Order: sequence, then C-alpha cells, then structure tokens
Amino acid sequence: MFLFFFIIDYIIGVSMAKLKYIISFCFFLNLSLINIIESKPFESTYKPLPSVNVLIKNGNIYDGEGNEFFQTDLLIQDRKIVAIGKDLPVSEDFQIIDAAGKWVTPGIIDIHSHMGVYPAPGVSTSSDGNEATSPVTADVWAEHSMWVQDPQYALALRGGVTAFHVLPGSANLIGGRGVTVKNLQRNTINSMKFPNAPHSLKMACGENPKRVYGNRNQAPSTRMGNAAGYRKSWIKAESYLRKQTEYKEKSDEAKELEYAPERDLEMDTLAGVLKGEILVHNHCYRADEMATMIDIAKEFNYKITAFHHGVEAYKIADLMADNGICGALWADWWGFKHEAYDMVQANIAIVDQARNGTGCAIVHSDDAIGIQHLNQEASKALSAGIRAGFKISKARAMKWITSNPAKAAGIYDQTGSLVIGKNADVVIWSKNPFSVYALAEKVFIDGGLAFDKKSNYFPSSDFDVGIISPNKNRIEE
Amino acid sequence: MLKNFFKFFFCLFFITHIYAQTILIKNGTIFDGENNDPFVGNILIEGEFISRVSSATLQGDFVIDATGMIITPGLIATDTDIGIVEIGALSVTRDDSSELYKIGFSIFDAFNPNSTLIPWNRSNGITSAITLPQNTSSPIGGLGSFFVLDGNLEVSGKKDMVMIGEVGGDYNASRSETFAIMEDLLIFAKSINQKDLSSNKDIKEIIDESSIAESMELHPRDVKALYEIVNGNIPIIIKANRASDILKLIKMKNQYDINLVIMGAQEAHLISDVISENQVPLIINPINNIPDSFDELASNIKMAKLLEEAGVDLTFNVSRSHNYHLIRQGAGVAVANGMSYSGAIKSITSNPAKFFDIEKRGELKVGNYADIIIWDADPLEPSSMPEVIFINGRDTDLTTRSTRLRDRYTKEPSKPSTYRN
Repeated sequence: MFLFFFIIDYIIGVSMAKLKYIISFCFFLNLSLINIIESKPFESTYKPLPSVNVLIKNGNIYDGEGNEFFQTDLLIQDRKIVAIGKDLPVSEDFQIIDAAGKWVTPGIIDIHSHMGVYPAPGVSTSSDGNEATSPVTADVWAEHSMWVQDPQYALALRGGVTAFHVLPGSANLIGGRGVTVKNLQRNTINSMKFPNAPHSLKMACGENPKRVYGNRNQAPSTRMGNAAGYRKSWIKAESYLRKQTEYKEKSDEAKELEYAPERDLEMDTLAGVLKGEILVHNHCYRADEMATMIDIAKEFNYKITAFHHGVEAYKIADLMADNGICGALWADWWGFKHEAYDMVQANIAIVDQARNGTGCAIVHSDDAIGIQHLNQEASKALSAGIRAGFKISKARAMKWITSNPAKAAGIYDQTGSLVIGKNADVVIWSKNPFSVYALAEKVFIDGGLAFDKKSNYFPSSDFDVGIISPNKNRIEE
Repeated sequence: MLKNFFKFFFCLFFITHIYAQTILIKNGTIFDGENNDPFVGNILIEGEFISRVSSATLQGDFVIDATGMIITPGLIATDTDIGIVEIGALSVTRDDSSELYKIGFSIFDAFNPNSTLIPWNRSNGITSAITLPQNTSSPIGGLGSFFVLDGNLEVSGKKDMVMIGEVGGDYNASRSETFAIMEDLLIFAKSINQKDLSSNKDIKEIIDESSIAESMELHPRDVKALYEIVNGNIPIIIKANRASDILKLIKMKNQYDINLVIMGAQEAHLISDVISENQVPLIINPINNIPDSFDELASNIKMAKLLEEAGVDLTFNVSRSHNYHLIRQGAGVAVANGMSYSGAIKSITSNPAKFFDIEKRGELKVGNYADIIIWDADPLEPSSMPEVIFINGRDTDLTTRSTRLRDRYTKEPSKPSTYRN
C-alpha cells in the first residue's frame, strides 16, 4: 500500500508542500486498511435453508444439557427453539410432526473433522490437510483448502451432524487455523462458515511432527525439539503482539511519523491466540506431553481449549479439569501408533467425571465414517464408563456430542443444546440414539429441514452427479 | 443380571479347577449360527466340545444360568493382522510383509500369542481369526493362517489356509496388467504336476521354463503356493472394489477353477445377481459408505442389505487390526440399514467358517468346539460385552491390558499410580 502511494508520488512529481497532506491521507487510508483487516476477511455469508415453524410433538428429548424429557413437545419458530413442554399449543400454520416413540436431540457436532481438507475420493490432487513444508505454518487456514463438493458432508448429515470443526492435519507443531462450518453444502466455503464462530489453532504433539521433520533431518526430531519449537514461536508471537499493541496505543500524531509494523500472517494467528480470540485445539496423545503443553500455555498465558485424541487423558483427567481443558477423544481407537497404545474404553467417562463431574468430555471422530455414527461412539464410551463404576446417564452422555463440542468450538451461545432462544439445530431419531439401530429421520439446521429420510430428501454434492451412471446421482435409494 | 454374574463367578471358580467335568449353560437365548430364529435352550460342554444342544432339560456338573441372555458362537475374524502387528506405525513390531517371497510368504511362524490384541479382541467376542499378511508386489501372493485366540504359546490353528491378492488399489500400472499377471500365474500354476513339486531342483527347472515365473523371480515356496490355489485346495481372497473388476475376477474364477472370495467389494451391489449366481462369498465393511477412491464410487450404507437380498453370502471386516471386534457394530449398522438380524449374526459366526472351511467352529452344534459367548445384552449393540467366553470348552479370562490400566487410574487413588496394582 505504501509502496503504491510512493510510486504514485514519484510519477506525479508532487511538490513538497503537498506531500504532508498526501502522507496524512495515506496514513488515513492505511488505518482504514487495518480496520478492514480487523473486520476479518473471508466472513461468513451463510444463508439458512427456508425455515418452517414446527411443533415436534410427543417425542422423548435429550436436551444436550444433561436433561431428558419423555413425551414432550419441542417448538421451533423463526429458526429458533421457542418452547419445550407438554401439550404446547400452536396456531394452525405450524407444521406438526408426530414424534411419539422417537427421540429428539440437538444437532450433533463434531469437533474434529478433516472433511473437505481430506475429501473423498482420497486422491493426491485434493489431499489438502497438511502443509507439511515447515513445522510451524500458523499462516495457513483450513478453510482455504476445503473442497465444498466433498461428498462426505451429506453422509454426515444423515448421521445427524449439523455443524463440524475442520482442522489442518497434525504433521506440524503449529498447523494453522481451523474453521467451524454448518453442515449445509454450498458452492463457496464462506457460505458454509458458521456465523460468528471463532477460528481455532491446530497444534500437534508427539510422534507426527518429530517423524515428519526428523525424517528430513531437520527440527523437530525429538519431543524436546517439539517443545522448543512451540516456545520459540510463542516468543516471536509475544514480541509481534507487543509491537502491534504499542503502535496501536500511540497518539495519532506519533502514528503519522512511523509506519505500522508489518503484518505477518503467521504471527496474526498466534497473536490471535494470545489475545484470546483464537481457540487452541491441541492434538496430543500422551499424558506427560499434555502436562507439558499445559505448562507451555501457562508460560505464554494462553488457554488450551481442548486436547484432541488424548488416548492417555484418563491419566491426567483431574489436571485437565483443573485447567478447564476439554478432552476430544475416541471411544476405542488404539494401537496404530506407540503413543496410542494405552487405550482404555472408559477414557471419555473418566475425563467427564474428573473433579466431581466438572470435566469436559467430547466424543470426536477424526473420520468420515465415525462422524456418521457419533451417537454410537458415545454409546460405547458411556457403557465403558458404567462398567468402570461411574453413574452416568444417557442424557449426560449426550453432552459429549452436542453441547461440549459446541463449547469447544465457541458456538455454544448459538447451538449445542435444546434451549429456548438457541438455533433450531435438531435431530429426530427413529429410536433411542444410544442404540446402533437408531437412524436420524429428520435433521433441521436453523429451523430449515436439511434431511428427511422418509421423503428421501437430502443434498448431493456436484461430485455425486452422474458419476457412475449419467442419469443418476452417486447414491440413489 | 447381577445375580447371574455371581453365579458365573461361583461356577467359573470351580470350572477352572475341575476341568474334566461337564458344563451346562442353561436357558439361554441361542443364536446357533445356523437357524434363523433363536431358541431358548441349553448347551452342554464336555471337554473341548459341545456335546448337547437342546430345548429339553439337561444335566451338567456345573450349571451357568443364562436366563434372558443371548448366546452366540465365538466370532471369527477373517481379515486381520491380529498376532503379527502390535503397533501399526512401529515397523519393528510388524511381521506382515516379506522382502523375498512374493507368493508363498507365510505369516504363520510370526504369530505372537502374547500380543495384547488377542485378549482385547477376545474379551470383545472374537475367539478365532484368519490373520493375513500385507499384499506383496505380486497381484496374487501372501498366505494367511487361521488361529484360535486362546493365547496359548502352543499355537493352534491351520497354517497357510488362504492366499491373498489385489486388483486396483495403489498399483501404479494398468489394472489390465494386474489381470494379465494373475492369469499368467494361474496358467503357469495349472501347468505344474504334483510330482514336479517333490524337489526344489525340479521346481527350479519349472521356473526357468516359465517366462512369468522367471521374470518375477519366483522361489520354490512361491510355486508350491500357486499349485495349491489352482488345485482348489485353498481359497484366495482378492481385494477388489470396482464392479468391472469384480466381474473380471468372477470370469477368472470360472476359467481357472479357483476358490475365490472377494474382499472390499464396495461396488458389489451393482452386480449382486452375478455374484450370487456364481456363489462368490464377500468380505465387506458394512459401515464403510465412503467413496474413498475412484474404484468405489458406488459405496453405500445399504450394501449389506442389497447383497443379502440377492442371496450373496457375507462376512465382515470393519477395523483390520486392533479393534476387529467392531464387526459387531458394523453388523448392527447393517441391520439398522435393512439387513436381517440372523443374517448379520451368521456373517460374523458361521459364514466365515463356511467360506474358509474352518472345521467345527462358527456354529453351536453337537461335535463342534465349544467356542461360546454369553452376552450381557444384544451382541450387535456396540455397548454390549461378553460376560462369559468359552474357547475350546475352557472359560476365558476377560482381563485385558486395557482394563488393567483403567483400574489403575480409577482405583486406589491414595497410592502413587506406579505403585497401584
């Protein structure tokens, strides 16, 4: 920008008298440029589906807050949840859905997905999840990789998933920004972005970064190299943030005399974490490494929102609860790596029950099949918890795939539970969703019907069109 | 349930100590792996075997009351690396590939009965397994073996009872080359007489005379394994997904008279009638509906239902290694999406035994090994677990490294963790 103005200056050969005026104008523009940047590029342009006002009558409800209500009505009006109760009266223009014998839950939310950045088919040309060219790539944003025509979104929708958080992969110590999207397939990524959802930062511990870079004979090649790598980055980010803040706090006159510090995409992201605007999602399996990461977060005064995968989270469940860190975990994955060897199926329940039930447990998928069955994954984790001797209700376990991931994604004020005033993201299940035989029958996103099993109403990506047989879509019922 | 549990505990204590006596499992709801409908009945175990299965009253030295509980045969894994891979990404714990042998590579001697995968999968219902190597550089090659997952160091099973192969996948050259190599190898195999296999010297002569055998640098082991395939002695599992690939394999099955099983088969439902007519069994993952490659675009959650309706016999793989037991969840998902319950149970019990000629297992019938599971609830619900497992008539400890670690971190909090049990 400056360069541009100086070139203009040079070309028009302005007099010195005019120069001051032009420079101030230039600063004025520059400041407004900063404002534009701070108003965030790539803003959500999400528009919901046409909505209907619906009374879901007589269903059994898990509200995602730990409560269950039997044979109770749920009222959706103007895209919001407006009432939960028995025999709710409605005017004639409401559509009434008989949900007797069925179950009603909030939309399922997956806090760990790579849909779009690792779309199907899994071919090299659209494998866009790991910028594995440098151990710190805080400058990359997952949303700039996401393929909007990934056929996997619609499959997840049939599993009741109404929103998901997409992360860069785990090759890097600091992998880049993650993004939370509505599960409504659109032809631009901005139109899928969840309005007002914060960005996240993906960090990764352990085997992956040290393997990827160690194999190239560069740092990090050890876990201590990993730790040094994070800390060096945070030191740079502290300095960057300090310079930005110092400049911002200068008087207008002082600002006229010097340029604003140069922006750096990588540092923008890290500074965003230090300012508390970007949420840290940390891939980390081993308990001792998670404890180290908590210390690094304290050293640089940022918060870790969630540890992801955390196969050993049960070993430090109290420490996580004390620090307000969620565990985004699998029900039973193990053994694919050494750091995933100590699996216990009660991991999720132990994290949930830590410090008198103040722990934050999340069932995540990290998998395009798993995301379709998060209710089953929660069921496995719940039954393992009960076998371990915990008294946990299904209604509480429902939080693991609804309100807790909503909190970790920073969208809990808008969704994640069936609470009056929240977005009407609702799933109607054929049976109790903790059964393997339960299928999502209807899925509403912001009060709009996104999937209806009975009428075979569901979205298809462009990829699905005519690809096996010209006259059909990929999946025809 | 709790009452039953104490009865089990009481009985098992004695069973463990006085082995020679008969054990009666009373009043369970039995899915025997053969009949479609379950029946309430009694199973008598004598030594390693089932000696009676009946709805009539039976007597046994020790009695387990299974009233209200579901009983099935032990589940059989058909596509696993249990016993030959301990940690996936740690190559020093992997024994599933060969650098030298392309066809006759056997994993049998690598099997580790002390692998932590065995108690884990067993406690989740898998009582025996066909363990397979990785595909070799040859489109057909590599031998799998059957193992009883009793954890005994003296391994029992059936060595080299199946060969594997693959079409498509990551192979770089044309699949047409893959089929050509397969056919050349099968033609070569057909030309071998059994008497030529008596000495390695003779086999080397055969190799020298065969263009394909020579160019692939086959060893006598490879040639012997090939011979077994075309003489129908052992089945061959070929991974293939695309509908056109499956059709070609079926033509080869008929032409060369091989005992073909197709694995993956993500587009099988597009040609289910042909598969059914030719009686080709399939190993599928009923929970995988991802079009993960251009070979499996038709991938569909209703695949199991559609194939069952066409009369195709199925067995399942869901997670190859550490969690093979997830075939239960896969079977449950198949049922949720239209497959019959009895069909799903057969797919994980009797079908694998039939496809691979595993004798005296997979069904609860007189004369079979007593591989029996008493479930705490519906076995196709992934939240359910076995309460009692018999393998070869012996009750099996359900402790796993995983349950030990769980107990370590949920009990005895007053002690430092490393001093807990």
